[in-house]
Amino acid sequence: MGLLQEAIFGVVTGSYIAIAAIGFTLIYGIVNMINFAYGEYLTLGAFVGFFTASTLPGPLPVAVVVAMAGGGVVSIALARGFFTPINDTGPVPMLLTSIGLGIAIRNAIRLFGGRSARYIETETSTIRFNAVPDAAVGSIDLLGGFFVTSEHLIVVGSAVAVFLSVHLLLTRTEVGIAMRAMGDDEDLARVRGIDTQLIRDSVWLLAGVLAGLSGVLLAIQTNVSPTTGFSHILQILSAAILGGAGSPYGAIVGAYVIGLALAFSTAVLPSSMTSLSSAVAFAILIVVLLVRPSGIAGTEVRKA
Amino acid sequence: MSLLSADGITKEFGGLRAIDDLSVSIDEGELVGVMGPNGAGKSTFFNCVSGVIPPDNGTVTLRGTDVTGDSPESLAHRGLVRTFQDTRELETMTVRDNVRLAAPDQSGERTLPALLRSDEMKNEEVAVRRRADQLIETFELDHLADEYSSNLSGGQRKLLELARTLMLDPDVLMLDEPFAGVNPTLTNEIADHVRGLNDDGMTVVIIEHELETLTSLVDRLVVLQQGRLLVEGEPGVVLEDERVIDAYLGGDVE
Amino acid sequence: MSVRDRLPSGHGNTALLAGIGCLLVGGLFSLTPLQAELPSVLYVFVEVGITFAIYGMLVLGLDLQYGHTGLVNFGHVVFFAVGAYATAMVAAQDTFSGIGLGYPWPLALLVGVIAAALLGVVVSATSIRLRDDFLAIVTLATAEIFHSIFVNFEGIFGGNVGILGVPRPIAGLVGDADTRVVATLLVLGGVTLITLATVTRLTDAPYGRVLRAIRADELVTRSVGKSTITYKTQAFVYGAALAGLAGGLFALYNGAVAPGFFTIQVTVTVWIGMLLGGAANHRAVLAGLAIIMGLRLISRFGLGVTPVSGDVFAALRLVVVGLILVAVIRFRPAGIWGDPQELGVDR
Repeated sequence: MGLLQEAIFGVVTGSYIAIAAIGFTLIYGIVNMINFAYGEYLTLGAFVGFFTASTLPGPLPVAVVVAMAGGGVVSIALARGFFTPINDTGPVPMLLTSIGLGIAIRNAIRLFGGRSARYIETETSTIRFNAVPDAAVGSIDLLGGFFVTSEHLIVVGSAVAVFLSVHLLLTRTEVGIAMRAMGDDEDLARVRGIDTQLIRDSVWLLAGVLAGLSGVLLAIQTNVSPTTGFSHILQILSAAILGGAGSPYGAIVGAYVIGLALAFSTAVLPSSMTSLSSAVAFAILIVVLLVRPSGIAGTEVRKA
Repeated sequence: MSLLSADGITKEFGGLRAIDDLSVSIDEGELVGVMGPNGAGKSTFFNCVSGVIPPDNGTVTLRGTDVTGDSPESLAHRGLVRTFQDTRELETMTVRDNVRLAAPDQSGERTLPALLRSDEMKNEEVAVRRRADQLIETFELDHLADEYSSNLSGGQRKLLELARTLMLDPDVLMLDEPFAGVNPTLTNEIADHVRGLNDDGMTVVIIEHELETLTSLVDRLVVLQQGRLLVEGEPGVVLEDERVIDAYLGGDVE
Repeated sequence: MSVRDRLPSGHGNTALLAGIGCLLVGGLFSLTPLQAELPSVLYVFVEVGITFAIYGMLVLGLDLQYGHTGLVNFGHVVFFAVGAYATAMVAAQDTFSGIGLGYPWPLALLVGVIAAALLGVVVSATSIRLRDDFLAIVTLATAEIFHSIFVNFEGIFGGNVGILGVPRPIAGLVGDADTRVVATLLVLGGVTLITLATVTRLTDAPYGRVLRAIRADELVTRSVGKSTITYKTQAFVYGAALAGLAGGLFALYNGAVAPGFFTIQVTVTVWIGMLLGGAANHRAVLAGLAIIMGLRLISRFGLGVTPVSGDVFAALRLVVVGLILVAVIRFRPAGIWGDPQELGVDR
């Protein structure tokens, strides 16, 4: 397979990471916590989507919408039950709580959903481009023929729609503008009469909806198992930090960097080591934290 | 020769000059007050001198040695110790441990002597405890010695902070608003302590809003405005200065 | 004012004596024909006890890092794993795949400790200045990276099978199964007790005062002349080295290492044990760990009498474990025996 094909895979991967990373980074910026259970929201969304698709005869978009709604409900319920009550305790207790909650949810899903991987069946059409010439450098083919599936297009299209919607939300709506104000300076936002709890709830809801969408897209494009979310959380986190924790626009850029890095490392690594590519995302994360802790555009994560 | 001097110190935060080409020199044994309206750069000046933040420009000299940008810990070793405006107690430690912590060069602070419980370490600990208890008594905190410092009142915290810094036996003591939020009786008490330390030869620099206490206490006043040196001199003269009255007091002497 | 009331040396010295005692009795079982007989009911307790002793070293090291110094290391398992792998690879004779050098085990154990400590040096040199929650993420990511390296580089680390053929010194001396597990428990328990004595000495001394001051307020600690980065690095490296020791001993007890032994589950277990017992209190963290590991016993026994499959049971146990972590932080942030004022939490 040529690098061009890997690039397409990378863009697809980057797309669902980006959708989730926006939600993750908004929680970080506004609730001021690293939510390690966030991957589980993806899994829940994917399972909700899967069961909707397999029980209701409706078209695929119905399953997607139900998954998004499910993600939103789960997110706000978990926030109310677990995170909001300890909002004042600081980042570390909140991170630890999310780690514990993640373990509990992941295994609860395993209890009810079993260990096996599932995927949502869709009618896939594949468009092939075979006319592109090979451009081999050593064992790596820089161009080569490639294909795009309708699923790829759904994922990337959804991501673009999300980017536009989030942008409009953050710039044109009262809630979105208040979110940005709170991300900048919570005290100032409160002084200006912003209902900070309401905004936090909105962020939880939005983040849950995005996680649900990202999860159901994963179920369409690949498959889901109880560990799907967990195996993506570090990639989502890497994307968010790479983009500057708290910055949704940065998270989008970070997500595509991670997606492409994953895809290209798959191409470069010998086939026996392809699962090493997940380590690549974490390595990028560590390097970013060390070299440029504020990310592409964002906040300081070192102590004064 | 001056003991501590700052020459041409400049520090910017996000394009704003907190202090701008500021030069201040302090002689051995002096008791100097630093005043100025909010945002005049008093705390930034302290932070730059005490190594908490490095200045963008300029030099800090202590006993003729260039110490610009040195870490707070190395400055503490050189005899320059400071307190903080928002009293920073080690709240999760007892009053006694707060003071004992500051004892310099304890061999028990190194791994091997700590593990071996060397006699040297044990003897030092006895001495450190004795000295700490003396200081705690001097500042009338002895009834609170085993309390966590989170249980102390604002004034008591200021006293504890003073006791902790004295454990280091500093040459230069920099106090950032030692009277802020302290009742008048305690203010006088703290002022007496400071005067006593200065009489014993310690050089003291104080940032303070509390004008009355400050002017009656210090030998010399340094007035900052918008990060620059406005006026310096004897308290009586400085307070009469037109520029000071305009800029700082706004004609309304507190 | 005696020396005693400043240096509460009581339980540190008791632990030291008890640890040496355990080692001696364990040595007696190993080196003489003396035999132990173990009722089969107790066998499982002894087995879990051995794991507890090994995890005990992990939790004591972690408590030095987090409980005393405030360093949020959420990748503790990586130091355990590196110690285990290094020991295994240096000592192993006939590995199925991966490297086995066949050197004597004491040397291998030493290499294991040093390897873990070196990784600790690297991680702290690069990341110790990060904000707490980001240090947690870096350490966690480091653990995940190493995990996937161990799985993927089959020629070196043996892939999913891991390194087999690691010598088992106690098993090599004692043929009888009962005597062997008892001797193992005594020896490993002895090492853990000596570890307890060591960290207690360290934290009771002025050294521990500096660590606790760093956790309380790093800038103040610097302003009274303490080089906090040095102390943070030391605490981190000591914790890593202890984990390496635990890993090396695990390899020599188990006779094999594999990625499956070194998952994030290990990190979570020791964290919950520490928080449940009460951070910054050595005996409390061990007690908390004992409670969490007691759950394993319950699930082992429970599995026999309930009609559910092992997989379901394991999942249930982890749901409970996760919720315990959540509940401790919410309702008892200082743990069962921790001091809320010393830990700076509300309750």
